[in-house]
Order: sequence, then C-alpha cells, then structure tokens
Amino acid sequence: MKSNNLKAYLLLMPSLILAGVFSFFPLAKSIIGSFCTISQQGEIIGFAGLDNYISLFSDKAFVSSIGHTLLFLVIFLPLNTLLILLAAVLTRRKEKHTAIAECIFLTPMAISLSSMALIFREIFRGRISIINRLFSMDIPWLESPDYAIAVLAFLGVFLDFGIDYILLLSSFRKIDKSIIEAAAIDGAGDLRTLFMIELPEARPMLAVIVFLAIKDAVMISAPVMILTAGGPFRSTETIMYYYYLEAFRSGNHGAETSIATLMAAFSGLMVLALAKWRKHDEIC
Amino acid sequence: MRYAEKLLLAILAIIIAFPLLYAFSLSLFSPMDFTDQQAHLLPSRFSLENYRMALGNRYYPLFVFNSIITAALQAFLRLAISIAAAFAFTHLRFRGKRIVLSLLLITMFIPPDALLYPNYSTIRAFGLLDTYAAIILPSLFSASSLLMLLGIYSTYDRNIYDAAVIDGAGDIRYILNILMPLTRSIAAAIFLQTFITGFNSYLWPLLVTSRMRMRTVQVGISMLGFAESGEYGAQFAAIMMITFPFLIILLIVRKKLMKTLSGNIIN
Repeated sequence: MKSNNLKAYLLLMPSLILAGVFSFFPLAKSIIGSFCTISQQGEIIGFAGLDNYISLFSDKAFVSSIGHTLLFLVIFLPLNTLLILLAAVLTRRKEKHTAIAECIFLTPMAISLSSMALIFREIFRGRISIINRLFSMDIPWLESPDYAIAVLAFLGVFLDFGIDYILLLSSFRKIDKSIIEAAAIDGAGDLRTLFMIELPEARPMLAVIVFLAIKDAVMISAPVMILTAGGPFRSTETIMYYYYLEAFRSGNHGAETSIATLMAAFSGLMVLALAKWRKHDEIC
Repeated sequence: MRYAEKLLLAILAIIIAFPLLYAFSLSLFSPMDFTDQQAHLLPSRFSLENYRMALGNRYYPLFVFNSIITAALQAFLRLAISIAAAFAFTHLRFRGKRIVLSLLLITMFIPPDALLYPNYSTIRAFGLLDTYAAIILPSLFSASSLLMLLGIYSTYDRNIYDAAVIDGAGDIRYILNILMPLTRSIAAAIFLQTFITGFNSYLWPLLVTSRMRMRTVQVGISMLGFAESGEYGAQFAAIMMITFPFLIILLIVRKKLMKTLSGNIIN
C-alpha cells in the first residue's frame, strides 16, 4: 500500500485549522496572557509573573464566586444523582407503564436552556409564585439570596436530566438478563438483585455521569445569566459568570486569562482523574 | 412493580413533566392571569391569542429562521468535516498519523466556555461579527463526533476499499456509495445531536451577534418585547412553538436512540 501524505492532509485540513484556531490558539493565548500585563484593548504590555493570579485571588468578588459555585455544586450534585438514579432504577425493567414514564423523563431534553430558565423564572417568581401556592409556602425564592442558588441548582438538574437518564437507563438495560434471572431463582429479592448485581454493573456509567456533572457545574454560566443575572445582591455569581463580567464588561484581561488557564487545568485534571478511576475500577 | 414504587414513579414523573406542562398552560394565559394576586395553575379561559401574537411579532419568525439555518449548517458541515478526517485516519496511510490524531482528540479536554473571550476577539479580527459564520465556526470541529466515526469506520473491511480503488472508484464515490450507507445511523445521530446543540446554544450566539436581525431564537426570545409590554403569555407561546417540534422528534427517535446507546450501533 502506498502512502497518501498529500491526500490525507487535504482531508484533515479543515479539522486541523478549526482545532488550531478555536482551541489551541486561544488556549495558548490565555496561558501566556495570564503571566503578562495586558491592556484593556487586549494587547500584551509586559511580563507580570504571578501578578494576575494574585490580584484575581485578592478580589473579594472572585473569592465569593468560588463559594457560590461550590454551594451550587453541593446542592446540585446529590440532587441530580439521586433523581436520575431513582428514575432509571424505577423504569429499568420494561413494563406496561414504564414506556410512558420513559417518554416523560426524556421531555426535558426537548426544552432548550434559555426556555427552561425562563420557565423557571416564572415558576419561582417570588412570594406569589405558583410553587408557593401549590405547596402553601411563603418563600421569596429568586428574590432572596438564600434561595436563589437552590433554584439555580434545581434548574441545573432539569437541564441535564434527559441525557443523563437515557445514558443510565441504557446501562441498566445492557446487563445480561440471565444473571438477573439466575439471582431470582436463587431466591434473591428485587432489592438484593438491585444492590448486589445491577448497581455495580451500572457503576462505570454512573461515574461518568457524576464526573461530567461536576465539570458542568463548575463551568455553569449561561443559566445564571438568564435566571438571575448573578443576583440578588450578587449571591448567584459563579466563577464563569464572574469571568463573563470581567472579560466582556470590564475588559479585565488579567482576570480573564488567569481564569481561563485555571479552568483548562481543572478540566484536564478531571479527565485524568476519570481515566485513572476507570482503570482502577477495571482492575478491581 | 409494587404499589410504593408506582407511587414514587408517578411523583417523579409529575415533577419532571411540570415545567413543560406549566409552560404550556402559561402560553394560554391572558395578561390578567399573570398579574393576579394568586398564581394560577390553569388559564382562566381558553384562547390562542398568545400564539397569534408571537407569530405576528416582527422578529420571532426571523429568529427561528436564523436558528434553523445556523443549526443545519453546523450539523451538515461538522458531519462532512468529521467524515473526511475519520476516513483519512482509518483508510489512508500517512506520516504523522498518531501525532495528528492525538492533537485533534486533545481538544476534547479544552473547555470552550473558558475560551469565550479569545475566540470572540478572533471572530472580531476576521470581521465576522454579526454573521452566520461567526455563530457556527467555533463548533464545526468536534473531537467527540470524530471519535464516534473513528470507532465505526475502523471496523470496516479494508479489502472493500482496496477493491473499490482498483475498480476505479474515487474516494468520494467510495465514501458516498459504500461507507456512508453502511454507517447511516451513526451519521444521523451526529447530525441530529449537532443540530439540537446548535439550535439550543445561547452564550456564544449572544456574544457574536448584536443586530436584532442576526439574533438566534434562544438569544432573542427574551428580547421580543413581550415582557416589557406585559404580554408574558406570548413569550411562553414562543417557547412552546420551538419546543413542540423537538418533543415530537424526540418521541419518534426514542427507541432508536436507546438502541444506539445500548451498543447496537450498526444497522
């Protein structure tokens, strides 16, 4: 077989150019920029060492945005994992009514991020919201710094629910039926089969879902913009919303480039952790 | 299934379905229903006035058109670019293959959200702000789409390709007549997934467009001026009209989707 250098590179050219221009170039620009002094127009003026990082971490708004992001993660992650696990477990065996439930659990996938955020804004409008009326509560929800982040976390659950659900459901349904039947013949009850056989089999997929959820949660910004615009009283300003404000509103490119660098490093670490965990899991 | 399980499933289903059902209800509300002291669950009377108003809006149909065009272009071009690259990696021998492949796959781990600003300034430097190209360019290459195709193309018999080449069929004809038909469902999955992601994207189109005429529907839906004039219902009618088509598509492809995900990709 002869080699086809020219032909191959012609076919690969669009991919290479796009990856270069929109991934590697901006990444390199951000990493280099984070160690330099940059003007408001985005031009590099001089070397700055770690100054950008130091001033980033001495900005109170940035430090509290880390706090808000972590708080969001702490509410979102358990809620999200519990709900998709519950939905997938309850519908894992095909029965008469599970098809209807399956359809319902997929519907959040049809609603876009901005539509869902606008719907949530109406559901949790404030004291006179429908959610308060249905449950006879009197909580100010989006108007209160204490509750707004919880509404945001709840919105996060709905944004990922559909896709997470089918991924988990398909990993439950992939399990060899004969193992489950054998367990039933041996007298294992439903719950025992679930915990001893099915959940361990679905664990790798659940791990992927949890890792991706953590990555998405740390990166959350668009839902914040539509639902709360960071408010009330900056209580829902997440790291990436802070990035957006600094980069596009204030022209603070020191903060912009150092956050980009930190986030890329975080994302790389998450992927490495997942790869390592999966390797470890396969050996066990 | 036991009674308790059924009850739990029903509660969960109601929670998950609630935003969609409530949005539908809101889309039928009259302006009075929104301003009432007590929040309503259902509209006080049935009327499609909000839908009429949304459709009659100067910008709404244009926004939807922009979204469909950019999402379709994005899906089509991403598929073409991924097919070309996947074909080269699996069917051709060339120098530097492993390095190029690793380079392209590494992009999967570079978070695009953290690169919004430098990508924005690239688009601005090209003079592309407020164009369709600006909206679609950064998401045309996707390492995960490439990876999906690589997985399936590498299972194909090289002898068929060699025979096709000997018979004088060019690469394009081989791809279109032999490779594509055999890998239809994975190509359809990539197209559909890219279309939906493109149609639903919010942050990037918001940043690179500023003229009303260039806005996509996700960005523009809160800019239609309904909320300002107290016509909240029309906003939800606008939301429902872009949600219904996806809902129908989703329910149609549901079984296929499950099958594709369960590893049964080739058919």
